[in-house]
Amino acid sequence: MGTKRADAVAAYLFLLPFLALLTIFFLYASARAVYFSFTDYDLFRPPNWVGLRNYVDLFNDALFLSALRNSILFAIIVTAVQTFLALVMAAVLNQRVRGIGFFRAAFYMPSITSSVVITLIFLWMFQRRGLINYLGETVQRSVPIVLAFAAIVVALQVAQVAWERRRRLPAAWTDPALLVVSLLVAGGATWLLVTTGVLSAREVPPVDFIWLQTRDTIPSGAPFWLAVPIPLAAIMIQNVFTTIPTFMLMYLAALQDVPKSLYEAAAIDGANATAQFFRITIPSVAPVTFLVLTLSMIGTLQMFDQVAIFGDAAPLRSVVTLAYFVYNRMFPGAQTPEVGFAAAGAMFLAVLTLVVVLLQRRLVRSEGY
Amino acid sequence: MQRILISILALSIVGGALAQQIRIMGYGGQDPAILVRLLDEVIGAELAAEGITLSYEPLEGDFNAALFNALSAGTAGDIFYIPVETAPGIIATGKVLPLDGLIDTSPFIDSLVEAYTVDGSVYGIAKDFNTLAVFYNIDLFLEAGVDVPDEHDTWETFADKLRGVDALDDDVYGACLPAGFDRFGAFAFAAGWDTFDEAGVSNLLDPAFVEAVTWYTDLVREGAAIQPSDIGQGWTGGCFATDDVGVAIEGAWMLGFLRNEAPNLQYGTTFMPIGPSGERGNFLYTVAYGINADSPHRDAALRVLEALTSPEAQQWVLEQGLAIPSRTELADNPFFLEGTPEATANAIVFEGAADGNVLGFQFGNIGTDWMTPINDALVAIMTGQASVDEALTEAQRDLTALTQRAR
Repeated sequence: MGTKRADAVAAYLFLLPFLALLTIFFLYASARAVYFSFTDYDLFRPPNWVGLRNYVDLFNDALFLSALRNSILFAIIVTAVQTFLALVMAAVLNQRVRGIGFFRAAFYMPSITSSVVITLIFLWMFQRRGLINYLGETVQRSVPIVLAFAAIVVALQVAQVAWERRRRLPAAWTDPALLVVSLLVAGGATWLLVTTGVLSAREVPPVDFIWLQTRDTIPSGAPFWLAVPIPLAAIMIQNVFTTIPTFMLMYLAALQDVPKSLYEAAAIDGANATAQFFRITIPSVAPVTFLVLTLSMIGTLQMFDQVAIFGDAAPLRSVVTLAYFVYNRMFPGAQTPEVGFAAAGAMFLAVLTLVVVLLQRRLVRSEGY
Repeated sequence: MQRILISILALSIVGGALAQQIRIMGYGGQDPAILVRLLDEVIGAELAAEGITLSYEPLEGDFNAALFNALSAGTAGDIFYIPVETAPGIIATGKVLPLDGLIDTSPFIDSLVEAYTVDGSVYGIAKDFNTLAVFYNIDLFLEAGVDVPDEHDTWETFADKLRGVDALDDDVYGACLPAGFDRFGAFAFAAGWDTFDEAGVSNLLDPAFVEAVTWYTDLVREGAAIQPSDIGQGWTGGCFATDDVGVAIEGAWMLGFLRNEAPNLQYGTTFMPIGPSGERGNFLYTVAYGINADSPHRDAALRVLEALTSPEAQQWVLEQGLAIPSRTELADNPFFLEGTPEATANAIVFEGAADGNVLGFQFGNIGTDWMTPINDALVAIMTGQASVDEALTEAQRDLTALTQRAR
């Protein structure tokens, strides 16, 4: 009994520094924020109790509604896309291939690069004459060359397989050895056609897709709650790119624990790679999927930095998220801070995050994990 | 009285060796280095003799957010910058000391004092100011065989000259025009428009405003001008330094930038073109020093404020090519007549403050958020996503909502 109590005291003593920090910077700060959300506090005058007015005002504020819509769409789309792609990439990286270490390091790079730097680079790429529009133009220009190449490949492959079959040799339409020959010959033939001038890239007007300075949405003219502003889509692309590697790493760890015998048994039963992926890999890593979904939901609902760095490059209404809305009301351009209103926004975001995570827990749990 | 106070202070310092440290909070960037040099070369020795030392604390990033935080937490410096566009909000916090009877404001340019006057009290002394001028690339105009812009240009002749330079080459543009009210506003003023009409309302559907927007955005739509972001630049100065645009409209802050980024660029400066109202339009940009109402070293802070805005300090700042003095007595400055491109640019920026419809870069208690709907409209028009009418109608709706919220 005595030692047990002494143990408990020791444990609490070890916890004390962390608990103190948690109490001061988290519990106390949160409690103050909750209180402020019911007042008209502006940092300088003593707060007055205003009841639920701030919360009612939130839903009459056009910017808040845009922020809510943007945050929800952002969270759903980014979480879905990045979870799926992270799993696929992890499955690919889980293969035993020469030089896999290099690929693992390379794929992880976007996650350890500073988010500010990546955002600045993406801002350049998304400009009207940026890399992305240039690639779009290049692809369009080379359509005839690509089509010609594809046609030659198909023709050669068909001819080769037909010839093999006439010689009564078993040859599938995708026979790798024949395909290599087809690709090589087609490459040479296309090169010859281009250099002799028979075939040339077609002239297309420069792609002038406006990624940033626009209020247009995808799909264009969709109802308010379903319309993804184009600049927000640009941030989604960037966010997916930078967060996939972190989740990929979690999946990779989970995949290493999946027993090889399951795959062997499935292979004996005649399951192909796709069936193995959906029937074995996905169910085996379900607990990690729950973790990834939760972290991704929380991260995306609270996305702030990329909007802040985008700054004036895109219309505020098209990129504002709930977290940025809170900041924007806390430090509006030259007006006294609307701390009460901002705190109400922050409380709403906190409750929304909690509800989403609980709901998702329900949904994933119901599958038995 | 004041002098006596200060000498008493000085005496007590000599007697008791009571050193006072005054903290100044201002912009980051090049400002910390400038202040250190100003101290070393001009005012530092005098202040040190009085027992006053200075420390400069740059607020990097969002200056307003950082300053509001510091003011509310009681950690703001004894002296801090007050940008003109955010002055009403900062003064409304009640943390800025009214300078009435403490500092003589009469040597300073009236419009600059007015910008910091609220309910009859003055809250800041402008450290310097800037206006807009037309910077042109001499070589491009020569190559195109077009006369360089001059002070007689109207909007029409100015636009024709830009078109002439634009015709030179596909990659050359007449001008670099940003989709922002912080530059475009000067043209709206030249059309006779005012930020707030007699009723205190901003009317974006006023014919003068519509005319200015149409002229400005048409230059971009027809291709004679380009937005900075379209050639991968963050601002007009960056555009101009590429040597591919004929004209940039900026203030004296361009000089230091061009010295570093494009030392071989041959440029000239002239006044803003004359608008349909028969007048030029211009912005008055400024930053003031204000004193913290809660400062424990109020007298020393006042003394430092005087030193920072003294004629000697301002002359030094001018000669470094940094900004234009806010004291009227420095108007007939021999430096302006030196004939170098930089001195000419400074003289034009200085005279711009009193030539035509010049308004402060200030938007009442709404602050810089006031510009957002207009900036969005300019972008929408320049990129062809909306017509002038559509864009301005929407901007007016947003601005009205914004104004109502702020009340």
